[in-house]
Amino acid sequence: MNEKLYQIISKVFNVESSKINDETSPENLEEWDSFNFYVLLDELENEFNIKFDLDETLEIKKVEDFKEILKKHGIDV
Amino acid sequence: MGKNENLSYFLNEAKNIKTDNFEKKIRIAILGSSTINGYEETIRVKCHQKKIACRTYNSNYNQYNQEILKKDSKFYEFKPDITFLILDVRHVLGEIFFTPYSLSELEKKEFVKNKVREITNLIKTIINHSKSHVIFSDLQIPTYSPYGINEQKQEFGLKQIVKNINEKIKLEIKNEDLVSILDFNEFIQKYGEENIFNYKQYFSGDMKISIEFIPKFIDELMKFVNAITGSTKKCIVLDLDNTLWGGVIGEDGFDKIKLGDDPIGRSFVEFQKRLLALNQRGIILAINSKNNFDDAIKVINEHPNMILRRENFSSIKINWNDKVSNLREISKELNIGIDSLVFFDDDQINREFVKNQLSDILVVDLPTDSSIYPKILTELNVFELIKITDEDLKRRDMYSQQQERNEFKNEVGDFNEFLKKMDIEIKIKKADNFSISRISQLTLKTNQFNLTTKRYKENEIELFSKDENKIVECAEVKDKFGDNGITGAYIVEKKENEWIIDTFLLSCRIIGRGIEDSMLSEIIEKARKQNVKIIKGKFIPTQKNKPAKNFYENFGFSLEEDFWVFNTDNTINKPEHIKVIKNE
Repeated sequence: MNEKLYQIISKVFNVESSKINDETSPENLEEWDSFNFYVLLDELENEFNIKFDLDETLEIKKVEDFKEILKKHGIDV
Repeated sequence: MGKNENLSYFLNEAKNIKTDNFEKKIRIAILGSSTINGYEETIRVKCHQKKIACRTYNSNYNQYNQEILKKDSKFYEFKPDITFLILDVRHVLGEIFFTPYSLSELEKKEFVKNKVREITNLIKTIINHSKSHVIFSDLQIPTYSPYGINEQKQEFGLKQIVKNINEKIKLEIKNEDLVSILDFNEFIQKYGEENIFNYKQYFSGDMKISIEFIPKFIDELMKFVNAITGSTKKCIVLDLDNTLWGGVIGEDGFDKIKLGDDPIGRSFVEFQKRLLALNQRGIILAINSKNNFDDAIKVINEHPNMILRRENFSSIKINWNDKVSNLREISKELNIGIDSLVFFDDDQINREFVKNQLSDILVVDLPTDSSIYPKILTELNVFELIKITDEDLKRRDMYSQQQERNEFKNEVGDFNEFLKKMDIEIKIKKADNFSISRISQLTLKTNQFNLTTKRYKENEIELFSKDENKIVECAEVKDKFGDNGITGAYIVEKKENEWIIDTFLLSCRIIGRGIEDSMLSEIIEKARKQNVKIIKGKFIPTQKNKPAKNFYENFGFSLEEDFWVFNTDNTINKPEHIKVIKNE
């Protein structure tokens, strides 16, 4: 499942998945900008058939935070 | 195409587009009142897929006003061919969007007037300061009113305010040839506000169209891009069995094919009705079917539920030849390029064969479920024209007259005799408000008899027509079988001692009857009158304009470096069988 998340992130940000880890954030990944962050949220919602709350999305600072939130929605990554 | 084509696909693809060397080029500016990220990437990719080289310009976030009003802005510097002005209703209405009933009726009317003035002023400023087409996306009519079910009874309610603004803008720009309206409400109706508007994305990043639906919205924009770049299809070629009716006529027979009285049959009837409507608008229909001619034509002529009849088809190929040969024949017979054809066939093997052999044709991937056929046809978006001219509406008649001409030709036998008996009459006319759009359309669409293949948009033709140093004229062609409408045009640049033919073209269906020679004679006679001795013209070869290759040479021009040159003191071979009427 970890892989699946990395796969989606790598697809949306158009970077190799080897470059993605839990600490990946806008600070260390140039391709992560404010707009494709929303694109990523949209794709995750569609992929896992869930809806994030607005405040949840505001808390995401790095990849690890995605995992936490997905876990809250019952998605084990 | 399909599932993968969400926004991230387009964002990534856009990075992979290398400078493309396509013949068709377009510069697109997108000005928006909210976040329009992702729009330009998607439109570039969609243009690339259609073999259109596209450059884009995005206004800075909500800076459209300044960019339009400042004449030295980056927007004008970009020199767009098309400008999309996408304003959303919340932005335009401001607080009134939420509290429309805080205003008196009089204030509301004043409000509408001001908004209409503001927006039309923006549109007209673009027109005056650039050569760009302007496409205004009209305002979304709100689906909610604080008055609820009483909204309909309000004198001048929220919805009416918005409808009024839309209607009045439409009236204001009605006579502006360069302005079109994108029916945003149609887009909303089709996909639903709940899908298109996402509160979370709106509050997060002021996105008015949800990320998921941006590619769909760009499809709406592409309709205009296709129309303006002349990427319009002219003819639909149809298979018969399981395409125009359910079942196989050779096996099921006249009484058993499905057409009309059952669920499957109804879907074919609806498909035919949609085709008929396109045919009435000027899209030509043709048949390409492997069948016994007599069996199949009997259905077309006699089946009680058949909507399309023999006269709706300009070319009929019902035989046992392969589909590709038939398509080539149809293209030859109708004198239109393979790239102007759309092919419908339920058989996947036929489709792959055609795609493989004829890469320029649009082959529609029909699903096995015939109930989806009408939807597929109405969502093709390849028949768009920025303006429907008289010639478009008359095209159907013109092609059936063409068939009569061919029959007459066979009857007369001798070609010269045939020409004499045709009573061809051409009217040479200066470009005017009635013909400018048609002349532009001819430069955009004519491929075969086109000496330079220069593409000109309507506003460019209009500018040329006002230029004293240019002659922009067109030829209206008639014969004993009917009116072909405006089917030829030329643009001549007048220099002091010589005239240069910039554009010379003829619609393919009238080539080879001496009309081209009459038109060229007309240019030469005009030059003589003004004591100009030298007429020059280029032939710029393309993949398609072979029919025009020897035109200058055959007329008596001689090649001097890049130009074909004619001295107006020489005699000219003016075709005698053609009556030329000058309308100056």
